[in-house]
Amino acid sequence: MTVPMTSRSQAASDYVLRVENLGKVYGGAVALRDVSLAIRRGSIHGLLGENGAGKSTLVGIMSGQRQPTTGTIYLDGVALGHADVPSMEEAGVFLVTQEPMIIDHLSAAENLMLGIWPRRFGFVNWRKLRKDAARMLAGTGIDLDKPAGKLDAVARRKLNILRAMFSGGKIIILDEPTAALTVEDRKQLFDFMRRLKADGVTFIFISHYNDEILDICDSVSVLRDGVLAGGSEDVGSLTSAQLSELVLGRGLVLFQRERRSFADDAPAVELRDIVGPSVRVPALDLRPGEVVGFTGLPGAGAKELARCIFGLTPVQSGTIRFADGSETQKLPSHPRDAFESGIAFLSDDRRRDGAIGQMSIGANISLSSLSAVANAGFLSKEAELKLSDRYFAAMDIKAPSAEVAVDTLSGGNQQKVCLGRVLATGPRVLILDEPTRGIDVGVKQDVLRIVDDLSRTGVAVIIVSTDTDEITRAVDRVCIFENGTIARELTGSEITNDRLRGLEPA
Amino acid sequence: MSRTMTAAAKTASPAGTAPTAKEGGRSVLGWVLHNVVWIWLIALVVIFGLFNQFFFTVNNMQNIMVQATVLGMLGLAVALPLLVAEIDLSLPANLGFSSAIGAMAYSDWGLPWFPGMLVGVGVATFIGFFNGLCITKLKMVSLIQTLSMMIILQGALLALTQGRTITNLSDGYVWIGQATIGGWPVMPFIFVIALVGVGILLSNTVFGRRVYAVGGNPVASNSAGIRVDRVKILTYTLAGFLAGCAGFLLASWQMAITSNQGSSYLLYAIAAPIIGGVSVFGGRGNVIGVLGGVLLLTIIQVGLAIISVPSFYVGIIGGVMIFIAVAIDAIRVRYFS
Repeated sequence: MTVPMTSRSQAASDYVLRVENLGKVYGGAVALRDVSLAIRRGSIHGLLGENGAGKSTLVGIMSGQRQPTTGTIYLDGVALGHADVPSMEEAGVFLVTQEPMIIDHLSAAENLMLGIWPRRFGFVNWRKLRKDAARMLAGTGIDLDKPAGKLDAVARRKLNILRAMFSGGKIIILDEPTAALTVEDRKQLFDFMRRLKADGVTFIFISHYNDEILDICDSVSVLRDGVLAGGSEDVGSLTSAQLSELVLGRGLVLFQRERRSFADDAPAVELRDIVGPSVRVPALDLRPGEVVGFTGLPGAGAKELARCIFGLTPVQSGTIRFADGSETQKLPSHPRDAFESGIAFLSDDRRRDGAIGQMSIGANISLSSLSAVANAGFLSKEAELKLSDRYFAAMDIKAPSAEVAVDTLSGGNQQKVCLGRVLATGPRVLILDEPTRGIDVGVKQDVLRIVDDLSRTGVAVIIVSTDTDEITRAVDRVCIFENGTIARELTGSEITNDRLRGLEPA
Repeated sequence: MSRTMTAAAKTASPAGTAPTAKEGGRSVLGWVLHNVVWIWLIALVVIFGLFNQFFFTVNNMQNIMVQATVLGMLGLAVALPLLVAEIDLSLPANLGFSSAIGAMAYSDWGLPWFPGMLVGVGVATFIGFFNGLCITKLKMVSLIQTLSMMIILQGALLALTQGRTITNLSDGYVWIGQATIGGWPVMPFIFVIALVGVGILLSNTVFGRRVYAVGGNPVASNSAGIRVDRVKILTYTLAGFLAGCAGFLLASWQMAITSNQGSSYLLYAIAAPIIGGVSVFGGRGNVIGVLGGVLLLTIIQVGLAIISVPSFYVGIIGGVMIFIAVAIDAIRVRYFS
């Protein structure tokens, strides 16, 4: 059996990376079964599939982070024995993950050159470092002296991609690089990739979007339930519908909210005269049960306004009035005040600003509602258990029990814990910042469904998202932000993916 | 084909009988490592007892408990800022300084001993509160802020006492350090009360839950509606209060306040909670662990004295014993969590 393999690998030396009969078993679960595919030198190879289909496992093996249970990896036609991350990076294979690997307190320039500092007599050559970094970062809009921790999520991701390219990557694996990127950023990224491709760099490109695959890839492989469901050496011969069929197989029903017009309803919440750092919104009304999408370029004000309403960013002015006859109040100055007046917020940065990892699921769920489950400062175990069990069940969190520590859960389930925590406060206004970023397709549908159900109880929901697909599926009205204010609004049938991506005039 | 078979057989065999025995062994070892402080504690008691029968006497046990009281109060105090991922190095110096203030309120300002003592505890509490303010509102780094506070308070104590030892304490003041009820010293009861009180505070109250949350992830805690600064200030204030109480107990027990009262406790007071499992990164630890750490350190000290180890070797042997406890704990964290 080994003989034909060798001869084939020698014949196909224009394939820079090839895997044969790759399999991976975790515990008893088969994550990958008998996957064979080959990637041509200097091409962009798309990798499609639902989350959990085995894409991460496959690229994990390709990049040396995980060891296959069965099968072999060939690099330039040579079979590799044991491949770990340093040896794969040595060979030029780099994995750029969704979660940025960035050191917060170092500048963008230093992060870019991490481990590959230009040296002179054994010392870091700072002048060359700055010069090289400036050249790389030109046109990306990233300030090379800014601490990486102060960059937004999009800039951090760009920095990460640039770093792999700078470290001498010949085969660069991009794990959903366009998630949370705007149309403009994406175009820039694609142009950049095409330029590097012309220089002979090979890309493996993971994406959820058929149009992206069709736009940039030369060849494509589709994974489903850990096996290779299909693929093509020539993407041009495929249609978007054919791709979807390969990806979905049995067919996953994607969530779609039944949009309603709320134009004639009386507002539940009136926001007025909000002026804060890079935000200036004179008026915004939310109606009971309405789901409003906030979108726009990074820094255009969507995220900023959400944080102002919740009291995370101090404002110069701004008032809020609830329709229950209460008086006009100032915007909350701390999240605690916000929760008390019925405003809840879920942050986009689950790593830094999500659940308390070492605490149990139950303790996380009750964390924002502690005074509701306590008497004179003493926690009532029964009341807390009742609350946490209720949301543990309602969020359908996949864990043995609510006693389990949150950091043992997957990203999607951690997000459900956080969602459970904010819902447990019984909000009147729920603000979700990128609620489904980096979580798998199945959980994404769950989250959108939970939000949809909640809106039916009269809660006004704001979803801040740069994921146009999510916006079109989940909201009744879209506010498009520019220069810190709401530039345009779309409602009903005006809300389409193409229009939101700027592919079609509004 | 045959290769597939072997692969299947390989994956099947560990899924069968083997893991149960292995898992069992792991969980026993895990349990042993998890309770290493207590097992080590018992082992040391047995070892010291074999060397000298006197170690097992009620008298000696009482002595250990009395000795453990001041260290225990301080250990609890140190644990509180550690739980919110900060540190307070000034607590032992605070102990000494505040007790001197309390004693001087009695001897120099003419207050009765009890209000005088309260003044001392109040000063200690205020110093803790002030540390908390500096660390939260001024965003000073706790390690350096409390280090400088430690130096200030040590210097202030020296200036107050002019290098002399305060011994003119009232009978009422020194009562609690000497008193016995039915042959049992009273001091350890104060420690037990503090231990139970802090234990209930941490595990049964809203405040305690917030302490763990802030220590675990301050950014996320803020977004979850917790006023992080307030929680930190409260832990520092409470730590100051406990140090003040410890200062009173130490002075009462020794019937004297030296010009460097409390300073010798610094390293042990920090070591005790950490040996007992309180994480220096915040968010982990409980009072039972602190108790274990305190008793372990006290037994090592008392035991080495009782088996008449020449004083030149006490330091190194005690240090090695603490090192072993910490090393085993590190191994536990490395392989079992």
